[in-house]
Amino acid sequence: MRSLFELVQQSPRRPRAALLALLVVLLLAPLALDRYLLSILILILYFAFVGQAWNIMMGFAGQLSLGHALYVGLGAYTAAALYQHFGVVPWIGMIAAVAVCVAAASVIGWLAFRFGIGGTYFALLTIAFAEFTRIGFDHFGWVGGSGGFFLKVTQQDRLDLLNLRGHPAMFYYLALALAVGAFLLSAWLLRSRLGFWFRAVRDNEEAARAAGVDTFRAKMIAVQISAGLTALAGVFFAFYYNNLFPEQVFNMGRSIEIILAPIIGGVGTLFGPVLGAAILTLLSEGLTEFLQAMGWEFPGVKQVLYGIALGVSIMFMPHGVWPGIAKRLGLGRA
Amino acid sequence: MDFAKETAHLAHTLLAVDSVSKSFRGLRAVSGASLDVHEGEIVALIGPNGAGKTTLFNMVAGAMPPDSGSIRFEGRDIAGLRADRVCAAGIGRTFQLVRPFVDMTVLENAMVGGFRGTRDARVARERAEAALAALHMQALADRPAASLTLPDRKRLEVARALATQPRLLLLDEVMAGLRPTETDEMVAAFRRLNDERGITILLIEHVMRAVMALAQRVYVLHHGEIISHGTPAEVTRDPKVLHSYLGPEEV
Repeated sequence: MRSLFELVQQSPRRPRAALLALLVVLLLAPLALDRYLLSILILILYFAFVGQAWNIMMGFAGQLSLGHALYVGLGAYTAAALYQHFGVVPWIGMIAAVAVCVAAASVIGWLAFRFGIGGTYFALLTIAFAEFTRIGFDHFGWVGGSGGFFLKVTQQDRLDLLNLRGHPAMFYYLALALAVGAFLLSAWLLRSRLGFWFRAVRDNEEAARAAGVDTFRAKMIAVQISAGLTALAGVFFAFYYNNLFPEQVFNMGRSIEIILAPIIGGVGTLFGPVLGAAILTLLSEGLTEFLQAMGWEFPGVKQVLYGIALGVSIMFMPHGVWPGIAKRLGLGRA
Repeated sequence: MDFAKETAHLAHTLLAVDSVSKSFRGLRAVSGASLDVHEGEIVALIGPNGAGKTTLFNMVAGAMPPDSGSIRFEGRDIAGLRADRVCAAGIGRTFQLVRPFVDMTVLENAMVGGFRGTRDARVARERAEAALAALHMQALADRPAASLTLPDRKRLEVARALATQPRLLLLDEVMAGLRPTETDEMVAAFRRLNDERGITILLIEHVMRAVMALAQRVYVLHHGEIISHGTPAEVTRDPKVLHSYLGPEEV
């Protein structure tokens, strides 16, 4: 708590004021927005949150995961199954979800780092785990197998905070809390020893070791934090959408979707994942709206758009959108 | 054996390398090498390219375990210990081929070392700033490490190692490629660290100007074996050394 206070206190003045203003706007947003616009904001916050989670592992510690859907899925199924089968409230389910995902990440991390698997091979390992978990869940009858798993949907206008049933505004505030929390955690990490260790490992592992960094431990912690946070995204996903299909949650495409925002916004930066999430979501929703208004049908257009956005970003802004903006604002690298 | 050498052996031994060997695919890089570094000394390890100097350094620093032999630091066996543990024990090292953390600033690079044994960012920062000051790098503190010239990267290697608060500093050719004035500056910096902070230094160096100015004792490594050892003056007169450096025809 003290360090959180210091964090806010030490941040540069003008950006801090701007961020607080933005937070106030976001807090008041549900009063002014309709359901559709609110759902778009929820989407932005959701991707900002998972993007931030992925960024801790890749952007800070340099460990590329292309299988983060694994943690979304495991987190989602854990909390949903506990709720549906045993009536465990999602707040407890969250703890279980985080525990399951941290355990899974520890196994993957241990296997990879103990045997010196890094870079592309590590990324392949993360895909492999996500894929065989998807196939496993297809045959996991207890949670519906490939036919899907559904949560009881109740009246949306009755607020049931304990069971996370209610109006989209509740989910909006939940997503906002997650996004703000992950942002603050990342900001704190960048100043802490752990964050220095992460970045040292990312930039040069051998030099990090020589400078006293326990690189195995640093990488394990990065993977565990990232997976634990992503588990929360999974719980959110399950209770927001109320249905889970292995083909959908564990899909490789989901993993890619998670990493697009931080890549386009700026890998390793604090604001990159947030900015990227806003850009991507607004672009894709805007395009969908536009096509609908014109009466055109264009299946898969979202994926095409993502591909173009990624291509443009990598060609013209390989470090993402944020570093350029930060330079203009005189904010350094934040 | 003269009196100076006799008393040197009585001084507290900080690092004791005893008949250490290392082979790579059957090729002997280091073969039965022994050397001692006493508390407060500056010792140089010289030898032609490929003599095994860096391999010996890597074994002391924990980058690779020796095949045989022992390495004791403050009486404790550190052979085969992981590099971060060796660092925690009090040995800081630089890399001959510089390895800066390129996406971090100069200060942040040094701070990574400064976090050795503490979580406190303020302590890490103070240590890093002191280390940068010792190498006259304060003005570069906020520059991205990627923007540094090679001589500055070499200095950064030293600053980062120094920020870990080592008792023994292993310097691997940090003066190669420096201009004579820069070399003299660095020599002066090492002298001060040795005098004022009591940091013991073991350095690999080709720049004889620096070796002569700094080292109290010199070990000569050739084909993985220590072929000579003594004061800089003694070693440079040793026929075996002249032979290995200049070739048999010249002697």
